Amino acid sequence: MADAEIPEVTDFLAEQAPFAAVPRSDLERLARRMTVRYARRGTLLMSVGRGNDEVFVVRSGAVQITDDSGTLVDRGGEGTAFGTTALGGQPSRFEVEAIEDTLLLVLPSAAFHELAAAHPVVGDFFSQQRATRLRHALQSMPHAQRRTAVLQTRLRDLVRREPITTTGDATVREAAQLMAREQVSSLLVVDGDRLTGIVTDRDLRTRVLAAGLDSSTPVSAMMTADPVTAGPDDIAMELILEMTSRNIHHMPVVGGAGGHAPLGMLTSTDLMRLERANPIHLVGDIAKADDLEALVALSQRLPRIIDQLVHEDATADGIGRIVTAVGDAVEQRLIHLAERELGPSPTAYAWVVLGSQARLEQGPGSDQDNALVISDDATPADAPWFEALARFVVDGLVACGYPRCPGDVMATNPQWRRPLREWKRTFAQWIDEPVPDAILRSAIFFDLRAVHGDEGLVEELQAQIRRSAPTGTRFLAHLARNAAANEPPLGFFRGFVLEREGAHKDTLDLKRGGFHAVVEVARVHALSRGLPQVSTSSRMAAAVGAGGLSEETAADLHDAFEFIRYVRLLHQAKQIRAAMPPDNFVAPSELSSFEKRHLRDAFHVVRSAQQTLLHSHPLGHVT
Amino acid sequence: MILSRFRVDRRRARQARWAEQAPPGPVRDYLASAPPGPRTDVSDLPLLALDLETTGLDPRADHILSVGFVPVDGLQINLAGAEQLICRADVEVGQSATIHGITDDALAGGIALRDLLERVAAALTGRVLLAHHAVIETGFLSAACERELGVPLPITAVDTMELQSRVLRSHAGEDLPPGALRLGTARANLGLPRYAAHEALTDALACAELYLVQVDRLSGGRPMTLKALQR
Repeated sequence: MADAEIPEVTDFLAEQAPFAAVPRSDLERLARRMTVRYARRGTLLMSVGRGNDEVFVVRSGAVQITDDSGTLVDRGGEGTAFGTTALGGQPSRFEVEAIEDTLLLVLPSAAFHELAAAHPVVGDFFSQQRATRLRHALQSMPHAQRRTAVLQTRLRDLVRREPITTTGDATVREAAQLMAREQVSSLLVVDGDRLTGIVTDRDLRTRVLAAGLDSSTPVSAMMTADPVTAGPDDIAMELILEMTSRNIHHMPVVGGAGGHAPLGMLTSTDLMRLERANPIHLVGDIAKADDLEALVALSQRLPRIIDQLVHEDATADGIGRIVTAVGDAVEQRLIHLAERELGPSPTAYAWVVLGSQARLEQGPGSDQDNALVISDDATPADAPWFEALARFVVDGLVACGYPRCPGDVMATNPQWRRPLREWKRTFAQWIDEPVPDAILRSAIFFDLRAVHGDEGLVEELQAQIRRSAPTGTRFLAHLARNAAANEPPLGFFRGFVLEREGAHKDTLDLKRGGFHAVVEVARVHALSRGLPQVSTSSRMAAAVGAGGLSEETAADLHDAFEFIRYVRLLHQAKQIRAAMPPDNFVAPSELSSFEKRHLRDAFHVVRSAQQTLLHSHPLGHVT
Repeated sequence: MILSRFRVDRRRARQARWAEQAPPGPVRDYLASAPPGPRTDVSDLPLLALDLETTGLDPRADHILSVGFVPVDGLQINLAGAEQLICRADVEVGQSATIHGITDDALAGGIALRDLLERVAAALTGRVLLAHHAVIETGFLSAACERELGVPLPITAVDTMELQSRVLRSHAGEDLPPGALRLGTARANLGLPRYAAHEALTDALACAELYLVQVDRLSGGRPMTLKALQR
């Protein structure tokens, strides 16, 4: 005999927002997994910092939800659902109190996750509140933190070198020699740590040479005494106005305790360079670079551009595209230079970039990941040419600031420099006969893009992947498990610290369980549906179209992806300015409470997407 | 104290005798088992909220049409154990169909009374019966058992109608308005939602929910034993 329907419960659920979209037969089964509990007014149903394993739906009565700062988040009666935020032992950010005598329907977390996997609309509903807050955070950021367009940049951030100083009793000759040695057009004249005047190229010309003064004249006799100065917190726009109206080309920046210590000199050239920081100029310059030396010099402009963009109103996604465009340009130029040196290629080939660069998500300090797909027409005699090409480009990339891939995923590795038919065989093996370890290492190859050569070769390979991946159930299940394996560092917010050992002890890894987890989730969605998209955001958008992700989940993931990457960029911009290599490890003290709060929301979004993915690609019957 | 222990022993002896007389199966198992002790705290008390739909109010003359039940474990209703069984009986439902929503056709698709009793006995083993005006349920189940299996069915019960009168008296004086103890009225009084359908399982669930609120009101969150519920 079939299990009895419990009409009062099923009917009730069918009228509530997230459950209304679930077919009745599923609701009947769902009802049978619930329990009913009663809570008198004043009962605390969830407390901040405690986890729980259940989702609650108010059957009658009312509850009030407040966050950890005591702010009212929500108040709701019949049909109000809560508890998903603290599933799986995650600490609750909320306190939920029955404000009337309340009858509750209670669903165990396992049943909830199964439901959310089968009906994405349900999972979406519950993450919407959190996502709404995250979206709000992203929207408020342009005003709070991204306020500064180029001309809003603080002068302290424009000063890029220590002040070059001399004293008033130095001779004009000594001053000129110092300027020549330091390659500067002006000097700051100091008395102790106090600025007393400035000397410029033009002063030497007009006040010394043209006036016929001796080169032993003391600087104090010809300097501009008590010059106009700017403060470190003034913005570039004010500086331009000041310099234009006074027709001056040098502006000392002073500050410090007394407000008179020289911090550096800004010139009209510095301001022009603000414009030159435009990455379009850089990409254009790179395409014209005539040798490796020129390329290396141009590449050194990238960190500054990133720094600049972070402080402009640029999104992490936009910055990722720009960094990738520069990376592509460098790589393409290197290939061009190599072909010029080695002679034309003996047969068709495609230079392929993998991983973040392929996804248009390259970051500062990203390793290089590349490969060569060679036409099946190639003969063994052609091999040395391709080997030389690979060495030239890979070495060139290293010189330009793209470190070698620690996993040796580079065209210099003969394993990744092969004819198309061998690539096809390799991909077939990964998909049809998955070995967990191999899948972990091969994931990066599923994000591939040709940057030079015969794109048809790569398209053929991609077409094969699109055809075979959706049916590779075991492959997808392993991939999904990998995607869910790196848990977001939610424990961090309980005062625990994730990285416990090594160089990054006591820091938060923004990549592994953070934005990269979103990359992996999006990859599984794309591969399981044979989607051609490569970038994470376009994969998520396409997965919505293909019915794999609901619009809300995709929007939430997109926001989480953007926010975590933006926090990373802020961190990396700071490192770049301090001449440190950029990484993904943020110390808690570096984060504002705004960032901490919304990182937590973002990590929750990521975790819930991982769990849903895991449930829709079960491994149980697979291994 | 001594007297009450003597009564308990005598009841146990009687029940053991019936267990021997009953045919092997769930009813015999039920008779051979002991219900939760009187000192069991409500937070641990296993109950089975149960409602019978019958053709009338006389256990000897009228028939069971259907039964609905749902387990209550301590202060939690466990919907996984919810069941509703229709009894295949050789009676015409007639007018009562409009009340119970059970048609002759539905009855024809039901199970034999004996099967129904055995299912109830199995679900009730180790539990206290929970019903609104429980004498109907205990009376009909025992009488039917006696007819079908030759042994009565002694049942430990908690009556939500009794509990409701205690809840209301505790803050509304002695005089209860007419109908105040009816299931729907009792639920409305305690702020529980109105249930439309008049089916056995719905009434059993309605009774179980009512019980949760009543226990909260009567215990005030302090420990309370089964014995105190039956007082």
